[in-house]
Amino acid sequence: MLSAQLVVQELKVCGLGCVVGLPDNSSAGLIALLRRDDTIRFVEVTREGEAFALASGFWIGGGRAAVLVQNTGLLESGDALRGTAQRMRVPLLCLITYRGYAKMPGPATPAASESSDADVFSKAAVDSAALITEPTLRAWGLPFDWLHSDADLPKISKAFARAQRESRPVALLVTGDMC
Amino acid sequence: MLTKEQLLKPLAGLRGDAVVVTCMSVTRPWGRYSSSELDFASADSAMGHTADLALGIALAQPRRKVICLNGDGSMLMTLGTLATIVDSGAANLVLFVVQNDTYEITGNLPIPAAGRIDFATLARGAGFDRVYSFDRADQYEGRLAEVLSGDGPVFVVVRVEKGSEGPISRTEGEPSRYLRESIADSAHRLRKALELRG
Repeated sequence: MLSAQLVVQELKVCGLGCVVGLPDNSSAGLIALLRRDDTIRFVEVTREGEAFALASGFWIGGGRAAVLVQNTGLLESGDALRGTAQRMRVPLLCLITYRGYAKMPGPATPAASESSDADVFSKAAVDSAALITEPTLRAWGLPFDWLHSDADLPKISKAFARAQRESRPVALLVTGDMC
Repeated sequence: MLTKEQLLKPLAGLRGDAVVVTCMSVTRPWGRYSSSELDFASADSAMGHTADLALGIALAQPRRKVICLNGDGSMLMTLGTLATIVDSGAANLVLFVVQNDTYEITGNLPIPAAGRIDFATLARGAGFDRVYSFDRADQYEGRLAEVLSGDGPVFVVVRVEKGSEGPISRTEGEPSRYLRESIADSAHRLRKALELRG
């Protein structure tokens, strides 16, 4: 579990004006805080791909933005991410909540060859979204790190600094609920 | 039904200091009527994500009008963006859907529900209060100033003739100035231009 209040503080350190996303169980507490915040605006989208295009537009317009989506939504967003934030070299913080992380069998980063096993994808005890999240990020060339607890929260400003320095999106995988 | 010239030429004359975001089959024609540093081509980007990109610019630039010239096929790819726009309350966004009922730059194959889909009704259903629909040049030109004035978000659907625009290359061979650079360079250039204008 992570403190949503502390996450908001870190987002403010980054000077963000906007967080674009779609709620899930892990992000609901953070979004509730953002909706009441005076300095960071939360913009809700109808599908996660929109979030990457909208956040990229916000940056073109002179702002600083982050995307907040679940890993399932990240998978839906592939071409939007590629064609906007990556193609346009937008410094974008991507907070990805990690559905299924707790149920991951063994190491959190299965090799791509393992995740191509049809049996693995169909096992009820395995969340296939979690299984392919990290291999997908690697395949898409998106740098990432993990937020497991409040002790990891300084990684937010470090990730955003890297995004700005390298003019690219950088992802943080959030493995616990933000409450 | 309008020609692209009947759609774009009056708009270029009235856009003032608005940001104009183009995509698909109007991208190259727009460059014949405008060479503003506030033009941005959502070409070589992500299909279907022009309206949401333009919304982001509008939210970051609330005191400046942002005009989005979206395609009908592109709009269908992200219809949910209509609800996102309304929910965001972006009063400075004017969203055009240029309806020719085809995916023109990939060979004029028809869009789903070509000839039957009613974008104005979809926009009203999503909650747009200001919705315009034009299929005659005189009506469009007569009301364009009204369309571009006042608070939005505004939704405009314009029926245009099918054309024969081919894919956009973003190379030195492109006739439009804003297509002779990469989309990354375009994005960074527009951000800089907006910063300088304040």
